[in-house]
Amino acid sequence: MTAIIESAAPIVVPPLAKSPGYWTGVWRRFKKDKVAVGAGLVVLAIILMAVFADYVAPADPTRSSMLRRLRPIGTPGYPLGADELGRDMLSRLIHGARLSLFMGVVPVFIAFVFGSVIGVAAGFFGGKFNTITMRTVDVFYAFPSVLLAIALSGALGAGITNSLLSLTIVFIPPIARIAESVTTQVRSMDYVEAARASGANALTIIRVHVLGNVLGPIFVYATSLISVSMILASGLSFLGLGTKPPTPEWGLMLNTLRTAIYVQPWVAALPGAAIFITSISFNLLSDGLRSAMDVKG
Amino acid sequence: MALETHPDRGGPGTPLLQAKTLTKHFPLGGGAVVRAVDGVDFAVMKGETLGVVGESGCGKSTTARVVMQLIPQDKGEMLFDGEIVGGKDLTLKEYRRQAQMVFQDSYASLNPRLTIEDSIAFGPTVHGVSKAAAILRARDLLQRVGLDPARFAARYPHELSGGQRQRVNIARALALGPRLVILDEAVSALDKSVEAQVLNLLADLREEFGLTYIFISHDLNVVRFISDRVMVMYLGEVVEIGPVEELYNDPRHPYTKALLSAMPSMDPDNRTMEAPLTGDPPNPINPPEGCRFHPRCPQAQTVCSKVKPALVVTASEDGTRRAACHMEIPGSGHSRAPSLEAAA
Repeated sequence: MTAIIESAAPIVVPPLAKSPGYWTGVWRRFKKDKVAVGAGLVVLAIILMAVFADYVAPADPTRSSMLRRLRPIGTPGYPLGADELGRDMLSRLIHGARLSLFMGVVPVFIAFVFGSVIGVAAGFFGGKFNTITMRTVDVFYAFPSVLLAIALSGALGAGITNSLLSLTIVFIPPIARIAESVTTQVRSMDYVEAARASGANALTIIRVHVLGNVLGPIFVYATSLISVSMILASGLSFLGLGTKPPTPEWGLMLNTLRTAIYVQPWVAALPGAAIFITSISFNLLSDGLRSAMDVKG
Repeated sequence: MALETHPDRGGPGTPLLQAKTLTKHFPLGGGAVVRAVDGVDFAVMKGETLGVVGESGCGKSTTARVVMQLIPQDKGEMLFDGEIVGGKDLTLKEYRRQAQMVFQDSYASLNPRLTIEDSIAFGPTVHGVSKAAAILRARDLLQRVGLDPARFAARYPHELSGGQRQRVNIARALALGPRLVILDEAVSALDKSVEAQVLNLLADLREEFGLTYIFISHDLNVVRFISDRVMVMYLGEVVEIGPVEELYNDPRHPYTKALLSAMPSMDPDNRTMEAPLTGDPPNPINPPEGCRFHPRCPQAQTVCSKVKPALVVTASEDGTRRAACHMEIPGSGHSRAPSLEAAA
């Protein structure tokens, strides 16, 4: 049997040309998916728009004018009309993207972290630990997500932080479920058995062999929740549990323009359209990612 | 830290692995129990290859997993070179450096997200070898299993053929410098020509590294080719064990006879016309009383359904052959059993 004798000199490993890895293949397949690429570009545009809102928006989103209330789309100086307080709709939509995106992405991201930890641990260790953890998660999962979000926000009180918290709690159970089921599949693979047979401890096996194989699918699932989160956050704002006026936020705008639906229906529908376009883009993007990742090898 | 060689502690006379009444039962709902492995005793001598044969569901793979300690046994213990596995002289982690396993499914046993050199290097890094040294060792092992490291080391499993992947799995098993390698149907999924290459490779590596194999297979020809001794399992029990040629030429247990006669003959004049085994397929949930083979055994008598035959020394002067059959136990009550006087 050969032993490895390490000399004092540092060992030089000659680099080899890496063959294209898994992610190269995912990217290649994703690029072919026109719909997903289009959705990705829309998402990118919305993100850029939100980040550079101060430069992109033509007017101050909070400057109101009693004389120019509820102008139709196409009014000079108001390309997308004006809202019930005479504020420029285009600027408000652009600025509103900030908070809407934030409320879409942040709760899902936090829930992704916690849900993955819970689900991967439950799936990997199995047995009683799995049963106890997953049944506890199921208690939250049993509530319809809208109801749970409203109940939690209502209990915690209105405000951005509280709606962020309640949305995070809403999204942990479904992500933990997915993480658990993917991990259970991976755990039974022979390469995990082989890793155990080489004497590695649970944390090393999870880090090297499990995470790389489960985080992709969990992440894809989580991106599909971004649109749900945005809609729920808008819903909370609509009910007065989220953002407070005059901060521009799509759900809140939808709420305040509700009364103007007979006067300026097109203007009143704009925040809804913005939510719709953003959420469907996120969904199409995550669908594209899913199918691009769904090929063996 | 370097992986130093493992000293031969017990000397050549001590078996490398000794399994004593290994038992693994899987509980089903409602009180039913699958007796996958039921009191299995065997020893593997240093440098030999022990073949394990039997039908599907006879407990071969469960035995392998228990021996590898991937699942803990319910009862029994194992001695590795004279030391209790998992005891204070030989921790489980240390044991796992000295015993390794190659699985049947070459694809499922390699992490699809790791390059094959990373897969092979994983084991040594777990045991404290630096990453760079482990990678060099992985490339060296790839060379030895017949894969050019310059071409293969940085590839991913899906870019390799089944035979190449199984070579990688063998290299991975060897990366820790084990003394015992368990090959669980390691060549069964390969096509015949590749199977032969991998078998030759295994035989070469055994010489080169001084390995001991436990070779599990349902393919009797392959087992005959590679094994020194053969163990026949039936419903979670050992029914016969002995040197390969003696056992193949003169099987003592009716089940072994049936298994061997089920081997397809290469000679058309010699073909078997009727099925060698009849009767109910084995059910490890409710194994028959007495000898577990008696419902399918052509020579079964009353004693066979009542008394469980012990694994006794048979048909050899030196005690290397054992079988668990009443026809081999003097005075067992079976009409074909040797008389007590003859035995004395």
